[in-house]
Amino acid sequence: MTPISRIFVSGLAAVCLCASAAGEATPLTPEEISGAARTDELSIPMPGEFMASLNKVAKIDWSKLARLAIGTNYSSRPQNALNLGGLIADGYVAIEAEDAPQIKSIGKDILVISKNLGLSKEVLERGSSIINFADQKQWDQLKEELEATQNEVKAGMAERKDDDLVTLVTVGGWLRATEVMSGYIAKNYSDGGARLLRQPGIVALLNKRLEKLGEKTQEDAVVATVRKKMAGLEKFTAFPLDKPPTAEELKQLSSLISEIMKDITKKQTK
Amino acid sequence: MKRLLCILALAALAAAAPLRAASDDEVAARKLALEIAGAFSNDGFKLRDGNWCGKFEPGKPALVQVNLYAGNQYWFTVGAGEAAKKIAVTVFDENGKLVATEPYADAAVAAAGFAPKNSGPYYLRVEVTEGAPAAFCLIYSYR
Repeated sequence: MTPISRIFVSGLAAVCLCASAAGEATPLTPEEISGAARTDELSIPMPGEFMASLNKVAKIDWSKLARLAIGTNYSSRPQNALNLGGLIADGYVAIEAEDAPQIKSIGKDILVISKNLGLSKEVLERGSSIINFADQKQWDQLKEELEATQNEVKAGMAERKDDDLVTLVTVGGWLRATEVMSGYIAKNYSDGGARLLRQPGIVALLNKRLEKLGEKTQEDAVVATVRKKMAGLEKFTAFPLDKPPTAEELKQLSSLISEIMKDITKKQTK
Repeated sequence: MKRLLCILALAALAAAAPLRAASDDEVAARKLALEIAGAFSNDGFKLRDGNWCGKFEPGKPALVQVNLYAGNQYWFTVGAGEAAKKIAVTVFDENGKLVATEPYADAAVAAAGFAPKNSGPYYLRVEVTEGAPAAFCLIYSYR
């Protein structure tokens, strides 16, 4: 008997009570829906969740979806934050590919960018854990470690009142994960794969967060470009349940996101 | 070995500094939720490091949006402070319609298991069904 089965057997009476309570639940009102909390920690899925879902519709060679190493010495803090998010998503790709050397290399790059942002204290320990887990090929633990690293970086930013950077790490991670996924599905189109890209809640939430960035952050050239192009993503990810995007639409989405990722990794000239 | 790693991971998660200071009641609620979620981890569910904690009271449920992917399986687990005698977690789709879940409830902890057919936003409602106002902490696992 699995642990979950044991839980259900031992809690049967309680289960019945809960099921009956749920059966009486009335639908949520539009006001309740609009008033629901939306948080970075829970409302934005981690790249690992997205990738787990794609693994169920196709057998994927994740090693082919890795990108070449990106730079780690950007001059602007917002650009560093966007790339930090992207690197964390790269880490998930490397874990799916079970590529330990790649994970270690990404771990080191995460550390360098975190240091650029003054956050080395938060990630030093996590960085060595990532390397240890990679050496021992503990892939599941690595996924949790990567998310914990991201959360600690964000907590460090929040402590320093750098809330804009928290948003940008989230945006960078989501964009890189979506670049990987949309690129794969555009090249290997399937109805099931296309439906996975339906993420209206996330794009709307990220766009709202980008609108609320401070004036100085919004003036950053890369942030301004990302904001402008992110607005164009909504039409590709907010499709009705019965109308998944066509292969052609997915190519457009993939191309738009790749363009944004190029902007994010391009060095700014002063 | 797997169990030991799981326990270590849970201990690390419990010790991790959240974005804001947590009350003792909230820490207890999170610990309770992690204990149940640990069982799901043994069945291949990956526990997300993030959580949603706050306060709720009878008649005043709390609601949060999550974004889920078709094909994945999820467990949403909520723990509460000891003043809450019975709690519940309920899942709604993007139109606010109740979604059928595999429920689990035991005093101040409740969970709902669910495999969405469609990717998109969903809403989780946590509520005290018996007891007094208390802190709660919601976490989720997926595979």
